[in-house]
Amino acid sequence: MTRTRVLVADPLGIFRAGVYNLLSRESDFAVVEAVDFDRVQSLVETQCPDIALIDLDLPPGGGVAALQWLHEHCNTRTIAWSFDPAQDVVLAAVRAGASGYLRKDISPDGLVRALRGLVAGQAPLSHDIATLMIDAIHQHRDRERTEDRLSALSSRECEVLEQVAGGALNRQIASELTISEFTVKRHIQNILGKLGVRSRREAAEFYRAAMSQLASIGDPS
Amino acid sequence: MKGTIRRRSPLVAVLYTVPLVCEAITSALDGIADVRAFPAKRMDSLGLLSSIQPDAVVVDDPIEAAEVRSWANSQDTPLVHICLRQRTIKVLRNGDWEESAGASVESIRNVVAGSMYARGGVPS
Repeated sequence: MTRTRVLVADPLGIFRAGVYNLLSRESDFAVVEAVDFDRVQSLVETQCPDIALIDLDLPPGGGVAALQWLHEHCNTRTIAWSFDPAQDVVLAAVRAGASGYLRKDISPDGLVRALRGLVAGQAPLSHDIATLMIDAIHQHRDRERTEDRLSALSSRECEVLEQVAGGALNRQIASELTISEFTVKRHIQNILGKLGVRSRREAAEFYRAAMSQLASIGDPS
Repeated sequence: MKGTIRRRSPLVAVLYTVPLVCEAITSALDGIADVRAFPAKRMDSLGLLSSIQPDAVVVDDPIEAAEVRSWANSQDTPLVHICLRQRTIKVLRNGDWEESAGASVESIRNVVAGSMYARGGVPS
């Protein structure tokens, strides 16, 4: 029987030992351990593991770098794991090539199931992380819509909208941008039409929400 | 056998939030103590500990550690807190936490066994 070779890369000995002891009771797994990225590299030089379980705090450069390196050097299927997964970290791990993401408080049975599932071609994700991923996809789509609406505005219209969102009156905007009030009004009419909103208050709310949305989400590329 | 005094193995209670910790500790204390694991944060840990009267307690959660601290101190029972995120272990000695070297399986085994021996809890 061919055993699935599992690399456990984790700086914390108690996790390496926990996984080792757990999988030692299963006949279909063989475990190798790495305390840091250097050890991962030296183990991979000898033989690529079938599966790598990578802690996201793996020294010295973090688990995402290790995931990326493994993705480039092996056909190893990788799972990232950590204590408290944040959305941006989960996305970074997946972008770096991780096939799944698990919390470190996973049950022993759950971990064995996840590893066997990965061998069978599944992508192990706990329910809360799957929700996190779906939220991220929705946020990404919302961000694209927002960017599309903003890109319809000219640079001058964006300047005017920024002023409107800041609560400036037409007279103040005209003074700030050195244009006439008549021109400000025309810009605002164009902004309302392009954004599909009915009032300058709605336009201001859209702009503030858009800036907040774009600032809160990392670069999706 | 007549004249032979049989003593039970020391009992180590593990109150865990991370099940893989139990996997590691059970193996590390194999031949040293019986390990019984209980999920933490399930209410009335003190009642549980009072019932089973362990020779040492290991916890992996700071809230649970704080809750068990006064009981362990009053019972003179060794208490070890594995701080997973900080990668350290703390041992309750004379009512105060003392930080010990890294959270390796060996250091946890040594601290637990050492604490029980110091208390006279490990049978010959």
